[in-house]
Amino acid sequence: MKQSFVFSGSGGQGIMSAGITLAQTAIVMGKHSTFLPEYGPEQRGGSAKCTVIISDADIISPLPKKCDILVAMNEQAYSKFINDVKEGGTVVVNSSRVNETEREDVKTVSVPVDDVALELGNVKVANTVLIGALIGATGIVSKEAVIASLEEKFKEKSPQIMQLNIAAIEKGITLGKGADK
Amino acid sequence: MEKRFMKGCEAIAEAAVRGGCRFFAGYPITPQNEIPEYLSRRLPEVGGAFVQGESEVASINMVYGASATGTRALTSSSGPGISLKAEGISYLASAQLPAVIVNISRGGPGLGSIQPAQSDYLQATKALGHGGFRAMVFAPASLQEAVDLTYNAWEYAERDRGPVVILMDGCLGAIMEEVELPEMKELSYTNTEDWCLARVNGREESHMITPILPELALEMLNKFKGMTYKMWEMSDVKVEEYMLEDAEYVVVAYGIAARVAKEAINTLREQGYKVGMIRPITLYPFPKASLDNLDYSKVKGIIDIEMTIPAQMRDDIELQVKERCPVHEYGRSGGVLLDDEGVYEAIGQIVKGGA
Repeated sequence: MKQSFVFSGSGGQGIMSAGITLAQTAIVMGKHSTFLPEYGPEQRGGSAKCTVIISDADIISPLPKKCDILVAMNEQAYSKFINDVKEGGTVVVNSSRVNETEREDVKTVSVPVDDVALELGNVKVANTVLIGALIGATGIVSKEAVIASLEEKFKEKSPQIMQLNIAAIEKGITLGKGADK
Repeated sequence: MEKRFMKGCEAIAEAAVRGGCRFFAGYPITPQNEIPEYLSRRLPEVGGAFVQGESEVASINMVYGASATGTRALTSSSGPGISLKAEGISYLASAQLPAVIVNISRGGPGLGSIQPAQSDYLQATKALGHGGFRAMVFAPASLQEAVDLTYNAWEYAERDRGPVVILMDGCLGAIMEEVELPEMKELSYTNTEDWCLARVNGREESHMITPILPELALEMLNKFKGMTYKMWEMSDVKVEEYMLEDAEYVVVAYGIAARVAKEAINTLREQGYKVGMIRPITLYPFPKASLDNLDYSKVKGIIDIEMTIPAQMRDDIELQVKERCPVHEYGRSGGVLLDDEGVYEAIGQIVKGGA
């Protein structure tokens, strides 16, 4: 089993961080994974995209043309990459910023991750809600494994930050499971 | 062995440290900045020195100086920066000083693009600098291979007294993969090896390093270098031969292009097409024998896949194919990446069309 994911949005939305978290979680679970970032010269605001592959076998090419699952954090990213999703694939959209749904041949999972993050207390965890929604919708990695990688990632931060991220993952998973349409 | 999920540039940097590198000088350029960034923190931890030079020219000359003291020295850059280092690289070759030079390549020519490309094959294998010298060029296709080649690069540089190049495109420089890191090398240098300056670290005998030699001495050096390059061809070629036994079409590709091509070859094999691949791991010395020894009564075509346009390895391929079958090429360039579908279609068109 081999699946490819494209995370897209703009610089500053935590796209790369979300991709790395997913890839690392897959590795913790004993799978193979590659993470490939693509971005322009901008620090913030420019286009941000990364491709994550998760596979049970060794990964040969890290450069798929089309992905199984697209995660779009904003409108521009959605329009830019929606046609790169395989037929029958899944699209997880941040419905706080993306309204349109252009394709009928893919499963769309809409979660207002910015609004959810604000409700939780900090918009910075929007990308953690997004990872949760992705996991809820696809079951690609387990909740326990992703929490373990977040604990590793935030081990030098305060317990409050860790708790906020765990709350964000849990909320995301719940919404991702139910947001099928 | 320790396993880590690492970025390509950082994996090379850590492998260099574990391989004994204790000096780095370089000047920033995308897409290799993670190498100096990592080493600026890492080298001081192991008693090494990191310098961000004021230019590429200064950096390569600092590497020249550090190497002359017996310290394993490294510089890294991308195509445009390697061009600026060309003079210093030639001087390293002339002074017979070991050093490792990493090129994380991007789109070209000129300033080109900051996005990945395999645009420096010709520069690395044939035009590193003036004066007609060669350097061994390693082209890893995975981060594990990058780690292993970097870890042992100084052994080659010191054995042959000269620069060794690691050429990897910006895509593999940025990608994260799981790698096994080797142990830190325990080096027992006295810093009195024969390439070191006299009177460094208490060394008594006289040894001067100069790029200026009398005519006959310089000719002797060139003859010795010529013999060294012949020796490389006999004993140091590294190549992966994939499914060549019954191959009717043979892809030649290195680095990232070889990985994308292998995916396509596997798909075509499932469909019953007899496609194989020669993947040079050393671009210089080029794996001539792998191409020369193919059974051309069976092989109907060679397909050169590179992430650059026009293909740069083609001349080296054609010299071995000797018009025994057609040579095709496919690539993307300017920072546009190769992808599975494009490479599959390109190879498939040739294979299925029987061209």
